[in-house]
Amino acid sequence: MDRQQPDDEQLSAWLDGELDDVTRRDIESWLHEHPDDAARVRLWAADRETLRARFDPVLDEAVPEALQRAVLEGGRSPVHTRWRFAAAAAGLLVGGALIGGGVVWQVAPQRDMAAARGSWTQRAAVAHAVFAPEVRHPVEVNVAEGQPEQQRAQEEHLARWLTKRLDMPVRLFDLRSQGYALVGGRLLSDAQGPSAQLMYQNTGGQRITVYLRRPEPGTSTSFRYQREGDLGMFYWAEEGYGCALVGKLPREQLLALAEAAYRQVEPDLTGGRVRPAS
Amino acid sequence: MPQVDAPDSFRHQLLAAIPRLRRYARSLVFDAAPADDLVQSTLERALSHWHQFDQRRDMVLWLLSIAHNAFLDGRRRDARLQVLDPQQIEAHQDAHSADPGVDVGLRIDLRAALARLSPEQREPLLLVSVEQLSYAECAEALGIPIGTVMSRVSRARASLREWLEGRGRPDKLRTLRRVV
Repeated sequence: MDRQQPDDEQLSAWLDGELDDVTRRDIESWLHEHPDDAARVRLWAADRETLRARFDPVLDEAVPEALQRAVLEGGRSPVHTRWRFAAAAAGLLVGGALIGGGVVWQVAPQRDMAAARGSWTQRAAVAHAVFAPEVRHPVEVNVAEGQPEQQRAQEEHLARWLTKRLDMPVRLFDLRSQGYALVGGRLLSDAQGPSAQLMYQNTGGQRITVYLRRPEPGTSTSFRYQREGDLGMFYWAEEGYGCALVGKLPREQLLALAEAAYRQVEPDLTGGRVRPAS
Repeated sequence: MPQVDAPDSFRHQLLAAIPRLRRYARSLVFDAAPADDLVQSTLERALSHWHQFDQRRDMVLWLLSIAHNAFLDGRRRDARLQVLDPQQIEAHQDAHSADPGVDVGLRIDLRAALARLSPEQREPLLLVSVEQLSYAECAEALGIPIGTVMSRVSRARASLREWLEGRGRPDKLRTLRRVV
């Protein structure tokens, strides 16, 4: 049977994952048999990657203070405005806790020590806010698809890849005892270098993310907790290893998950390295 | 006062969405300053219409839709928010070509090719490719039918490719722009 030649709209919609199963399979067979069309679609895909690579770094830029002011002060009656903004800034400085789902950290002076220490936890929160709601592309490497042996192969690949790119031992935490299965992970990058995000999901569709990066030299914190709005985070950093667990969960649940993760990674960290007395 | 200020929880949601808004604005208008102007007017509109936001909806999608309207209004009204037109791009490229120290490679090519797409094609392409919206979400944000999203994305991809491969011609383009 002769398949009808797909038009550009169908090929383009195929690339975007917008076709029903039958049409999708038809297009795939067509592309398999027509290398010229397949090459054209590959170029579109490459253009799409170029566009993303060009504009994704904007996500990592510090949010200009003017925009934060616009949000914090805008549309308020003038009497309260200045007071509220001062209160917000003072609260941040006193608390020293500069995080949140992309929240108000830039209000504090950028070179502030707390800001420097907090910078990677801010990125963890932003990365969570960006990717956790993502329906179609939550992860770059998916370990939840295919047969069990394919999943295992993907997991090994993901761990090896991230270990190499982050230059720190990446272990994929097993949080199934807490009801969360690994969906996969992605490599992130910003001006300070590479980082990674692992995503977990429970059967209710609730997602948590684990953010991993090699912290700045000299950064060391014990297990800490921060909360902003409904987003909570446990994090710790040791020489050469930083980890933050982020989620919209009550503190106790998040703590149980973070402790489970910490127990799994602890042997890697103490092995061959002297831990500072705490 | 009858008008109630936007609650802090809403403001925190807005703050969290700023990185996404800035990415979209930058992909639309390229330069950081006018892009942040666009983000700012989007945030101001969102604040003044906060009571219209249905919390069951996706905040980023709502904001992208506002940004789209602000972008169109800005183009009509404000020369500061102008998108580079083809003549400007050529002047820009010529200026850089004259300077051997400047990279006139892919960055300029991509920017020039994007700038040459009409906003009608560029917005759906960016929303689907960079913001990774589904066609249905993109249709909602732009207020156009899904079928229109599909055809505009497809045409935008083809045009972008033509420009990147150097097949598009400026004289032809100027004529086309009149038509669009």
